[in-house]
Amino acid sequence: MIGVLEIVAYVAAAAVALYGLFTTVRNRPPDRTHRIAVGVFEAVLVVQAVVAAVRVFTGVQLPEQSTFLIYLLVSVCVMPIALQFATAEPTRWGGTVIAVGAIGTGVAVWRLHDLWVAGNG
Amino acid sequence: MAEPTRGPGREPRATSSGPGRVLIAVYAIFALSATARAGVQIAAKFAEAPVAYLLSGLAGVVYILATIGLAGHGPGYRRLAWGAVLFELVGVLVVGTLTVFDTGDFPDDTVWSVYGRGYGFIPLVLPFVGLWWLRRTSARG
Repeated sequence: MIGVLEIVAYVAAAAVALYGLFTTVRNRPPDRTHRIAVGVFEAVLVVQAVVAAVRVFTGVQLPEQSTFLIYLLVSVCVMPIALQFATAEPTRWGGTVIAVGAIGTGVAVWRLHDLWVAGNG
Repeated sequence: MAEPTRGPGREPRATSSGPGRVLIAVYAIFALSATARAGVQIAAKFAEAPVAYLLSGLAGVVYILATIGLAGHGPGYRRLAWGAVLFELVGVLVVGTLTVFDTGDFPDDTVWSVYGRGYGFIPLVLPFVGLWWLRRTSARG
Protein backbone atom coordinates (compact mmCIF):
# COMPACT_ATOMS: atom_id res chain seq x y z
CA MET A 1 0.00 0.00 0.00
CA ILE A 2 2.52 2.58 1.13
CA GLY A 3 5.55 0.44 0.42
CA VAL A 4 8.03 0.63 3.25
CA LEU A 5 5.51 1.63 5.92
CA GLU A 6 3.45 -1.48 5.25
CA ILE A 7 6.50 -3.72 5.67
CA VAL A 8 7.37 -1.91 8.91
CA ALA A 9 3.78 -2.49 10.10
CA TYR A 10 4.03 -6.25 9.47
CA VAL A 11 7.39 -6.47 11.23
CA ALA A 12 6.07 -4.47 14.19
CA ALA A 13 2.91 -6.63 14.36
CA ALA A 14 5.01 -9.80 14.37
CA ALA A 15 7.41 -8.42 17.00
CA VAL A 16 4.58 -7.30 19.30
CA ALA A 17 2.77 -10.63 18.88
CA LEU A 18 5.88 -12.71 19.57
CA TYR A 19 6.84 -10.65 22.61
CA GLY A 20 3.30 -10.97 23.98
CA LEU A 21 3.35 -14.75 23.55
CA PHE A 22 6.84 -14.86 25.05
CA THR A 23 5.75 -13.18 28.29
CA THR A 24 2.74 -15.51 28.52
CA VAL A 25 5.07 -18.50 28.26
CA ARG A 26 7.38 -16.92 30.84
CA ASN A 27 4.36 -16.34 33.13
CA ARG A 28 4.80 -12.57 33.30
CA PRO A 29 2.03 -9.96 33.18
CA PRO A 30 2.23 -7.11 30.64
CA ASP A 31 4.72 -4.44 31.67
CA ARG A 32 6.28 -1.20 30.43
CA THR A 33 7.97 -2.94 27.51
CA HIS A 34 4.57 -4.03 26.17
CA ARG A 35 3.27 -0.47 26.40
CA ILE A 36 6.29 0.90 24.52
CA ALA A 37 6.11 -1.83 21.86
CA VAL A 38 2.39 -1.29 21.32
CA GLY A 39 2.99 2.48 21.27
CA VAL A 40 5.59 2.19 18.50
CA PHE A 41 3.38 -0.19 16.50
CA GLU A 42 0.41 2.15 16.93
CA ALA A 43 2.48 5.14 15.77
CA VAL A 44 3.35 3.28 12.54
CA LEU A 45 -0.33 2.44 12.02
CA VAL A 46 -1.47 6.03 12.61
CA VAL A 47 1.08 7.43 10.14
CA GLN A 48 0.02 4.81 7.59
CA ALA A 49 -3.67 5.58 8.13
CA VAL A 50 -3.16 9.34 7.80
CA VAL A 51 -1.08 9.01 4.62
CA ALA A 52 -3.53 6.54 3.06
CA ALA A 53 -6.59 8.62 4.02
CA VAL A 54 -5.04 11.79 2.59
CA ARG A 55 -4.26 9.99 -0.66
CA VAL A 56 -7.80 8.62 -0.90
CA PHE A 57 -9.34 12.03 -0.26
CA THR A 58 -7.01 13.76 -2.72
CA GLY A 59 -7.79 11.73 -5.77
CA VAL A 60 -6.65 8.10 -5.52
CA GLN A 61 -9.58 6.04 -6.79
CA LEU A 62 -10.38 2.71 -5.13
CA PRO A 63 -13.12 0.27 -6.18
CA GLU A 64 -14.20 -0.27 -2.57
CA GLN A 65 -13.44 3.05 -0.97
CA SER A 66 -15.80 2.81 2.02
CA THR A 67 -14.53 -0.68 2.91
CA PHE A 68 -10.98 0.61 2.69
CA LEU A 69 -11.68 3.55 5.00
CA ILE A 70 -13.43 1.32 7.56
CA TYR A 71 -10.49 -1.10 7.61
CA LEU A 72 -8.20 1.89 7.99
CA LEU A 73 -10.16 2.97 11.05
CA VAL A 74 -10.17 -0.58 12.45
CA SER A 75 -6.39 -0.84 11.94
CA VAL A 76 -5.72 2.04 14.37
CA CYS A 77 -8.44 1.18 16.93
CA VAL A 78 -7.58 -2.41 17.84
CA MET A 79 -4.22 -2.01 19.63
CA PRO A 80 -5.25 0.68 22.17
CA ILE A 81 -8.29 -1.41 23.14
CA ALA A 82 -6.23 -4.63 23.29
CA LEU A 83 -3.58 -2.96 25.48
CA GLN A 84 -6.22 -1.59 27.83
CA PHE A 85 -7.95 -4.97 28.10
CA ALA A 86 -4.64 -6.81 28.52
CA THR A 87 -3.41 -4.62 31.37
CA ALA A 88 -6.76 -4.39 33.21
CA GLU A 89 -6.15 -7.80 34.76
CA PRO A 90 -2.40 -8.30 35.25
CA THR A 91 -1.95 -11.99 34.56
CA ARG A 92 0.27 -13.91 32.16
CA TRP A 93 -2.58 -13.91 29.62
CA GLY A 94 -2.29 -10.18 29.01
CA GLY A 95 0.60 -10.80 26.63
CA THR A 96 -1.50 -13.21 24.56
CA VAL A 97 -4.35 -10.68 24.40
CA ILE A 98 -1.87 -8.16 22.98
CA ALA A 99 -0.63 -10.83 20.54
CA VAL A 100 -4.19 -11.51 19.35
CA GLY A 101 -4.71 -7.79 18.79
CA ALA A 102 -1.43 -7.51 16.87
CA ILE A 103 -2.27 -10.49 14.64
CA GLY A 104 -5.76 -9.11 13.97
CA THR A 105 -4.28 -5.72 13.11
CA GLY A 106 -1.73 -7.38 10.81
CA VAL A 107 -4.56 -9.12 8.95
CA ALA A 108 -6.40 -5.79 8.66
CA VAL A 109 -3.28 -4.22 7.10
CA TRP A 110 -3.06 -7.15 4.69
CA ARG A 111 -6.71 -6.63 3.66
CA LEU A 112 -5.95 -2.92 3.22
CA HIS A 113 -3.11 -3.88 0.90
CA ASP A 114 -5.44 -6.04 -1.24
CA LEU A 115 -8.05 -3.27 -1.44
CA TRP A 116 -5.36 -0.76 -2.39
CA VAL A 117 -3.78 -2.98 -5.06
CA ALA A 118 -7.24 -3.64 -6.56
CA GLY A 119 -7.43 0.04 -7.42
CA ASN A 120 -3.82 0.75 -8.34
CA GLY A 121 -2.60 -2.30 -10.20
CA MET B 1 -1.60 -16.79 38.76
CA ALA B 2 -4.50 -17.94 40.89
CA GLU B 3 -7.78 -16.17 41.04
CA PRO B 4 -7.59 -13.57 43.78
CA THR B 5 -10.88 -13.35 45.63
CA ARG B 6 -12.94 -16.48 45.02
CA GLY B 7 -13.52 -19.14 47.62
CA PRO B 8 -13.01 -22.81 46.83
CA GLY B 9 -15.62 -24.84 44.94
CA ARG B 10 -19.25 -24.10 44.21
CA GLU B 11 -19.01 -20.55 42.89
CA PRO B 12 -18.54 -20.56 39.10
CA ARG B 13 -15.33 -18.95 37.94
CA ALA B 14 -15.60 -15.73 35.93
CA THR B 15 -15.42 -16.39 32.20
CA SER B 16 -13.59 -13.08 31.78
CA SER B 17 -10.59 -14.08 33.86
CA GLY B 18 -7.20 -15.53 32.93
CA PRO B 19 -7.15 -17.32 29.56
CA GLY B 20 -10.80 -16.30 29.12
CA ARG B 21 -9.52 -12.82 28.29
CA VAL B 22 -7.71 -14.21 25.25
CA LEU B 23 -10.94 -15.85 24.10
CA ILE B 24 -12.81 -12.56 24.57
CA ALA B 25 -10.15 -10.74 22.55
CA VAL B 26 -10.59 -13.20 19.66
CA TYR B 27 -14.39 -12.92 19.85
CA ALA B 28 -14.17 -9.11 19.94
CA ILE B 29 -12.02 -9.04 16.81
CA PHE B 30 -14.48 -11.31 15.01
CA ALA B 31 -17.39 -9.20 16.23
CA LEU B 32 -15.69 -6.09 14.87
CA SER B 33 -14.63 -7.51 11.51
CA ALA B 34 -17.84 -9.44 10.81
CA THR B 35 -20.05 -6.48 11.73
CA ALA B 36 -17.97 -3.96 9.79
CA ARG B 37 -17.92 -6.21 6.74
CA ALA B 38 -21.67 -6.87 6.88
CA GLY B 39 -22.35 -3.18 7.40
CA VAL B 40 -20.49 -2.28 4.22
CA GLN B 41 -22.11 -5.14 2.27
CA ILE B 42 -25.62 -4.22 3.36
CA ALA B 43 -25.11 -0.50 2.85
CA ALA B 44 -23.37 -0.68 -0.52
CA LYS B 45 -24.62 -3.71 -2.44
CA PHE B 46 -27.45 -5.37 -0.56
CA ALA B 47 -29.42 -6.34 -3.69
CA GLU B 48 -26.55 -8.46 -5.05
CA ALA B 49 -26.85 -11.15 -2.38
CA PRO B 50 -29.38 -10.30 0.33
CA VAL B 51 -29.29 -13.72 2.00
CA ALA B 52 -25.51 -13.81 2.30
CA TYR B 53 -25.32 -10.23 3.57
CA LEU B 54 -28.09 -10.71 6.13
CA LEU B 55 -26.25 -13.83 7.27
CA SER B 56 -23.05 -11.81 7.58
CA GLY B 57 -24.93 -9.32 9.72
CA LEU B 58 -26.42 -12.09 11.87
CA ALA B 59 -22.97 -13.61 12.38
CA GLY B 60 -21.67 -10.22 13.45
CA VAL B 61 -24.47 -9.83 16.00
CA VAL B 62 -23.84 -13.35 17.35
CA TYR B 63 -20.14 -12.56 17.84
CA ILE B 64 -21.05 -9.32 19.62
CA LEU B 65 -23.45 -11.16 21.96
CA ALA B 66 -20.88 -13.88 22.65
CA THR B 67 -18.26 -11.23 23.46
CA ILE B 68 -20.63 -9.45 25.86
CA GLY B 69 -21.72 -12.73 27.45
CA LEU B 70 -18.15 -13.90 28.04
CA ALA B 71 -16.95 -10.51 29.27
CA GLY B 72 -19.82 -10.00 31.73
CA HIS B 73 -20.23 -11.42 35.22
CA GLY B 74 -23.17 -13.40 36.56
CA PRO B 75 -25.63 -16.07 35.45
CA GLY B 76 -27.45 -13.85 32.94
CA TYR B 77 -24.26 -13.13 31.01
CA ARG B 78 -23.29 -16.80 31.22
CA ARG B 79 -26.64 -17.83 29.67
CA LEU B 80 -26.15 -15.22 26.96
CA ALA B 81 -22.69 -16.63 26.23
CA TRP B 82 -24.01 -20.22 26.08
CA GLY B 83 -26.78 -19.20 23.71
CA ALA B 84 -24.57 -17.14 21.43
CA VAL B 85 -21.76 -19.70 21.24
CA LEU B 86 -24.21 -22.57 20.56
CA PHE B 87 -25.90 -20.49 17.87
CA GLU B 88 -22.48 -19.74 16.42
CA LEU B 89 -21.63 -23.47 16.34
CA VAL B 90 -24.90 -24.34 14.57
CA GLY B 91 -24.43 -21.38 12.22
CA VAL B 92 -20.93 -22.26 11.11
CA LEU B 93 -21.84 -25.95 10.65
CA VAL B 94 -25.06 -25.29 8.70
CA VAL B 95 -23.71 -22.46 6.55
CA GLY B 96 -20.41 -24.28 6.11
CA THR B 97 -22.14 -27.44 4.91
CA LEU B 98 -24.55 -25.55 2.63
CA THR B 99 -21.73 -23.63 1.00
CA VAL B 100 -19.63 -26.74 0.47
CA PHE B 101 -22.45 -28.53 -1.36
CA ASP B 102 -24.16 -25.65 -3.12
CA THR B 103 -22.31 -22.43 -3.73
CA GLY B 104 -25.07 -21.07 -5.95
CA ASP B 105 -27.04 -19.46 -3.14
CA PHE B 106 -24.01 -17.70 -1.68
CA PRO B 107 -22.48 -15.55 -4.40
CA ASP B 108 -20.50 -13.62 -1.80
CA ASP B 109 -18.58 -15.01 1.14
CA THR B 110 -19.74 -14.70 4.72
CA VAL B 111 -17.68 -15.37 7.85
CA TRP B 112 -19.17 -18.86 8.03
CA SER B 113 -18.85 -19.83 4.35
CA VAL B 114 -17.02 -23.15 3.83
CA TYR B 115 -16.58 -23.44 7.62
CA GLY B 116 -14.83 -20.09 7.82
CA ARG B 117 -12.17 -20.80 5.22
CA GLY B 118 -11.73 -17.10 4.48
CA TYR B 119 -10.79 -16.58 8.12
CA GLY B 120 -8.34 -19.45 8.54
CA PHE B 121 -11.09 -21.77 9.83
CA ILE B 122 -11.00 -19.91 13.14
CA PRO B 123 -14.84 -19.53 13.01
CA LEU B 124 -15.07 -23.34 13.09
CA VAL B 125 -12.66 -23.81 16.01
CA LEU B 126 -13.84 -20.83 18.07
CA PRO B 127 -17.27 -22.15 19.19
CA PHE B 128 -15.70 -25.41 20.42
CA VAL B 129 -13.15 -23.48 22.44
CA GLY B 130 -15.96 -21.23 23.70
CA LEU B 131 -18.11 -24.17 24.84
CA TRP B 132 -15.10 -25.82 26.48
CA TRP B 133 -14.30 -22.62 28.36
CA LEU B 134 -17.92 -22.11 29.48
CA ARG B 135 -18.04 -25.71 30.76
CA ARG B 136 -14.68 -25.44 32.46
CA THR B 137 -15.57 -22.24 34.28
CA SER B 138 -19.04 -23.34 35.37
CA ALA B 139 -19.76 -24.30 38.97
CA ARG B 140 -17.16 -26.68 40.35
CA GLY B 141 -17.05 -29.01 43.33
